[in-house]
Amino acid sequence: MPVVRKHSERMKKFKNKGKDVAALRRQRVEVNVELRKAKKDEQILKRRSISFSLMEERLSPGEDKRNEMVQLSLEEIVEAVNGSNTELQLRATQATRRMLSRQKDPPINQIIELGIIPRLVEFLTRADNAPLQFEAAWALTNIASGTSDHTRAVVEGGAIPAFISLLSSPHMYISEQSVWALGNIAGDGPLYRDALINCNVIPPLLALVSPVTPIGFLRNITWTLSNLCRNKNPYPPLGAVKKMLPVLICLMEHEDKDIISDSCWAISYLTDGSNDRIQIVVETGILPRLVELMASPELIIMTPALRAIGNVVTGTDEQTQAAIDAGVLAVLPHLLQHPKPTIQKEAAWMLSNIAAGPCQQIQQLITCGLLPPLVQLLDKGDFKAQKEAVWAVANFTTGGTVEQVVELVQSGVLKPLLNLLLAKDSKTILVILDTISNLFLAAEKLGETERLCLLVEELDGLEKIEALQTHENNMVYRAALNIIEKYFSGEENPDLQPGTGQDGLYDFSVEKHDFNF
Amino acid sequence: RFGTYVKVLMLLLYYLQRVLLLVASDVDALCACKILQALFQCDHVQYTLVPVSGWQELETAFLEHKDQFKYFVLINCGANVDLLEILQPEEDTFFFVCDSHRPINVVNVYNDTQIKLLVKQDDDLNVPAYDDIFRDDEDEEEDSENETDESEPSEKRRRFEEEVIERTMRRRQRREWEARRREILFDYEQYEYHGTSSAMVMFDLAWLMSKDLNDMLWWAIVGLTDQWIQDKITQMKYVTDIGILQRHVSRHNHRNEDEENSLSIDCMRIAFEYDLRLALYQHWSLYESLCNTSYTSASLKLWSVQGQKKLQEFLADMGLPLKQVKQKFNSMDMSLKENLREMIEESANKFGMKDLRVQTFSIHFGFKNKFSASDIVYATASLMENIEKEGPETTNFIKALDSLSRGNLDKLHQGLDLAKKQLRAIQQTVASCICTNLVISQGPFLYCSLMEGTPDVKLFSKPVSLCLLSKYLLKSFVSSTKNKRCKLLPLVMAAPMDVDQGTVIMVGIPPETESSDKKNFFGRAFEKAADSTNSRTLHNHFDMSIMELKTEDRSKFLDALISLLS
Repeated sequence: MPVVRKHSERMKKFKNKGKDVAALRRQRVEVNVELRKAKKDEQILKRRSISFSLMEERLSPGEDKRNEMVQLSLEEIVEAVNGSNTELQLRATQATRRMLSRQKDPPINQIIELGIIPRLVEFLTRADNAPLQFEAAWALTNIASGTSDHTRAVVEGGAIPAFISLLSSPHMYISEQSVWALGNIAGDGPLYRDALINCNVIPPLLALVSPVTPIGFLRNITWTLSNLCRNKNPYPPLGAVKKMLPVLICLMEHEDKDIISDSCWAISYLTDGSNDRIQIVVETGILPRLVELMASPELIIMTPALRAIGNVVTGTDEQTQAAIDAGVLAVLPHLLQHPKPTIQKEAAWMLSNIAAGPCQQIQQLITCGLLPPLVQLLDKGDFKAQKEAVWAVANFTTGGTVEQVVELVQSGVLKPLLNLLLAKDSKTILVILDTISNLFLAAEKLGETERLCLLVEELDGLEKIEALQTHENNMVYRAALNIIEKYFSGEENPDLQPGTGQDGLYDFSVEKHDFNF
Repeated sequence: RFGTYVKVLMLLLYYLQRVLLLVASDVDALCACKILQALFQCDHVQYTLVPVSGWQELETAFLEHKDQFKYFVLINCGANVDLLEILQPEEDTFFFVCDSHRPINVVNVYNDTQIKLLVKQDDDLNVPAYDDIFRDDEDEEEDSENETDESEPSEKRRRFEEEVIERTMRRRQRREWEARRREILFDYEQYEYHGTSSAMVMFDLAWLMSKDLNDMLWWAIVGLTDQWIQDKITQMKYVTDIGILQRHVSRHNHRNEDEENSLSIDCMRIAFEYDLRLALYQHWSLYESLCNTSYTSASLKLWSVQGQKKLQEFLADMGLPLKQVKQKFNSMDMSLKENLREMIEESANKFGMKDLRVQTFSIHFGFKNKFSASDIVYATASLMENIEKEGPETTNFIKALDSLSRGNLDKLHQGLDLAKKQLRAIQQTVASCICTNLVISQGPFLYCSLMEGTPDVKLFSKPVSLCLLSKYLLKSFVSSTKNKRCKLLPLVMAAPMDVDQGTVIMVGIPPETESSDKKNFFGRAFEKAADSTNSRTLHNHFDMSIMELKTEDRSKFLDALISLLS
């Protein structure tokens, strides 16, 4: 195996035949997720300000008056909340909730500093005063929606048991608001997620799911469930996962796309882990449905389904085989050509992991016609997707049989692959050079080295490899030099003589129609 | 606003050399066209003229020429539909629209880049405010949602005040806005009417550029008179515009006043007159004119024996011998002609015809030839709708256009002859319709259908002639009927159009009342009735209240129209 790989950070995240499977199993690159999150936050901010300006314009005189009516000073709020007049308590809680739910700069910190959270939590228990319960629940929801410190203030105020018991409130709007609040707490991280699970949040939450649950409510429940599945280090407790899975699988059959989307995201979190976690999901038999959803025209459904299956194929060969059996290879060609670059990239990532499997699975890739879209993506895809495609080719040449590698070359992979040597990304260049070495290894076995040399030269590959000898990256330079010395030094190398016995059997440049790649 | 368009058009005249003129088939359009041609001529602007009789021809002409031309001038067509929508022009194509059709399509009004409207500043357009009919934030919501489709759901979500209220409120506001928009557009578009004559607009343009000539002024007068004769504008508007033109007339013609005897043969002079409202009387006999003028014929009810008797009484009252009255006006005794107008007016007043005299203009070519503006309108319109085929479709148009030139007296006289035939045909058809009770009340409107085989029916397959007939018929019907309700009804009239294809031409006109605002709602009503019944109709005419219809579909179409307007 080529030396380069050992230095590749990314390689540790790949599963690879013949290597320590656990160490090479490829996980999601954490940075990507964080970037996504940051972008999302930015977007929310952006949207808020937009909505805000719309609001300002649309405030009619009547609405102004209504706002004025509940306009209380912070001192008045503290006094009323701590007082015993329930009418004033309600008005003050409502005023608090209003401030916290305005679009711009909700005064979360100031409200926390008033020290009224314990009182608000207490209001949650006032079963005789549903409006007060609701206003308090909403206010606490919005406090918990802030930073981790904000969420902690709510949790430390004792809100978890109060909200969990409100899940069974006779008033649907109160139990819905509680679901929302619990979602925010669970979304904070593994600590509070598990705190909720330990407080037995799951049974009453699941009990809310029924065929008559209104869609809006069901969306909130699904999102909260997905947060209970979210985050690693540690993973959510196995028992909890096993309780939630059957309901999530039901929700994936719902007709509402937001519900489907969030339940798919939940599955994608559950599969983003060790193989035993993947195994639990695979055993539910949900893979065919996920594959079906991967082909959905709705981006918000396709994306998490693709992610979930992508995670599954990072697992064991058997788990990968389960995804193949669920029909993933039939959907992939379309996704590799999807207009959205992110989808192309995810699909290529999935393909690279299947290509890292045993040669039987590689054979299925070929049989299902994945090579033409792969070559096309390599040629014309988005750059990030191209990088994934390069990995797919690399894994293919590492694990594939000689015959399979020949087929890969015949499908025209060389030209776009060599073109990508012009990329600015040295990691990608290294993987390509590695792949070229693998190809030459296969050619040597067939005694077709000279032919491959010729082919690389014809496709202006030699020129590019030679140019890389002056590359600033030392490893790139060495890898390029290695190839040049070994195959293009001009001196007759007795090792490379053709006719090692199987000449003519395999032909790299083969059929005329394939010749002008 | 007008000022900037002048600049635009001047640019067009001086810098842009190739222009395509698309001109509708009505006298006002021809007059506007004459003025523009004269302007083009004196500045050596190259142009191509294409007459268009309807939307289909307009579209075809555009498609044929769009590759060679970037600048199109549309006269009396194009303002009342979304031009960009129906023509799908390239972005570097520009339209200069001089059209009296109202209401102007709102997109045309608010598109300031490709569509340049030539509209007089003081024309009251009543266009809805931009913000009431256009919204710029249409896709905002969907846009922002699409972008988040690929990202993971957020870990925490705040519940906004509006989450519940705002979204429904926004939707409700949106619905309200849309409902209001529909209402505003409905109000704006429901009535068709006409703005200032295009010939007058064009003349104004020439004047503002200091390029106005007496010939142009005359065409402007003819254009306005056409609007009046076709009953397109209110009496008020007519009188106002006459006043405007009168100032131009005195400006252009005052020099000649002192030296009245020094007129040479090709000298032309325009004069304001308070003339008789008798069609073509100076080129006819007074008797024929009295009989074939809608106003006198309807007032005296000439289709009846009593009416004929009344006419005799009327003539006797004036003291005009029948022999004199029936001979060519030119040959009448000079002594009788001297105070003729006053005499006729005096007697007319006694017979209930209080508006027999109108403000108008006449033109003198040298000594011999004198025409009233209405003479020219009748003659030109008749030439344009001449049913005796003389070559391709455009022949009539060109002939009519030529007859407006000073040097083409023979064509003008041919037109006058045709006009007399037309007026007689109209009068006879009106009489027979009234006498055989062909005008029936359908409830919300009166209806009259001309049968195939009726004399002169072919003439009335032409829109202008059919409209004139309808107006004369309605006027006569209103004066003949005793039913007070019927007097207030509009009229729908149908005539055979193409026997082979089994089509009729149908026109709807507003009620004949003294204070009529000349607004016509039949355009929209026709469209709706056709839609709801899937009738095979062709709304090809620039006036929406004129359309073609398959004869077989007529009864279901009428049923729908009746229930629509009831």
